[in-house]
Amino acid sequence: MIRESDDVIVKAVARLLMPFIVVYALYVVMHGHYSPGGGFQGGVILAASFVLLGVSHGLGKTRRRMSEKVAGVISSIGVLIYGGIGALCLILGGNYLHYGKLSKLLHVTPAEARSLGILGVEIGVALAVMAVMCTVFFAIFTVGESPEDDRSVE
Amino acid sequence: MEVTLLLETTENAFRVLEQAREHATGLLDTAVQFTAEETRFREEKRGQILFTGAQRRRTQFQNFVGTTIILFAFWMLLSGKFDAFHLTLGAICCALVAYLFHDLLFANVRVGDMRVVAARFIAYIPWLIQQILLANIHVVSLVVRRRMPIDPRVVKFKTKLETDISCVTLANSITLTPGTITMDIKDGVFYVHAVSQKVADELNAGDMEDRVAHIFMEADHLYVEDVLDAARIYQTLRV
Repeated sequence: MIRESDDVIVKAVARLLMPFIVVYALYVVMHGHYSPGGGFQGGVILAASFVLLGVSHGLGKTRRRMSEKVAGVISSIGVLIYGGIGALCLILGGNYLHYGKLSKLLHVTPAEARSLGILGVEIGVALAVMAVMCTVFFAIFTVGESPEDDRSVE
Repeated sequence: MEVTLLLETTENAFRVLEQAREHATGLLDTAVQFTAEETRFREEKRGQILFTGAQRRRTQFQNFVGTTIILFAFWMLLSGKFDAFHLTLGAICCALVAYLFHDLLFANVRVGDMRVVAARFIAYIPWLIQQILLANIHVVSLVVRRRMPIDPRVVKFKTKLETDISCVTLANSITLTPGTITMDIKDGVFYVHAVSQKVADELNAGDMEDRVAHIFMEADHLYVEDVLDAARIYQTLRV
């Protein structure tokens, strides 16, 4: 269990940097089909922001923003988005993740449909990676907690 | 004989009944009074909660809008694509992040105009760069000399800065200046490593601390421009 850091500088700088790190992660995700980056990298940066918050402000305040339960739900939603877009292409008569077929559904040209489809897939990947990374972080850093406490809470 | 006894007992019984009635009315009165007080207290408290809730919602909304604007500027700096699609994506992302993290960027802000703080902070940067250049020259002069007259020491001083953000600004300014490194801040006491006596003396003079206090309007510092502002206000009041 990580306690809140007692260093003023670390806490204040982490608090100021947190929103910018999240926006940078979203930028990496949203521009994944134009520039280096994409779902996985953006998801890892998103998770890193939560790790920074956990290391500097303690796990209690981090859990208020991202708990284990929410992380589990978000990871499932991310995989659902990825698999859903792939399956939608199958239903529309193409191969798995054949985004060009989405043009009928979105009323755009096949090229634009490919761009939008890969954006959706990347958002799904980012959500799943972020949530799984947060789960790993929580799992590692709550190892010291005694299991008896958890049982008594349940 | 028996008749008088009977009369006495009836009188006694009546007296007891009378006392009981008085007790009951007294109790009822106090109960009514207590309920009235409690209702009033509860109403006052509800009013306070409503008021502070409105106040908090207002500051939350201001923080949300401020965070969104700053983050959107950051997004445009990163993205460099100004077509409608990417700007919309950016706006959605920034609003989402600002909604989730609206309490982080503007936590512990004291009373004061943020625009004044921002302007003073921007005015502080050229002075800081000048100090960094001077300190660079000093450190180079120390290093180049054959004898290398360094005199490392840890300077400890109590700060008058109150909020965490001003302490962090001062600590990072000290670390940015060559020759000095902030090691720790504990309960408002700075532990700074200084490389020579001259640097330590400059640190103890507290010029940088005064300027940081001026940026964040802390420690009740009176400055020439503040006095001039006050003089102007007094003039308008007199006219």
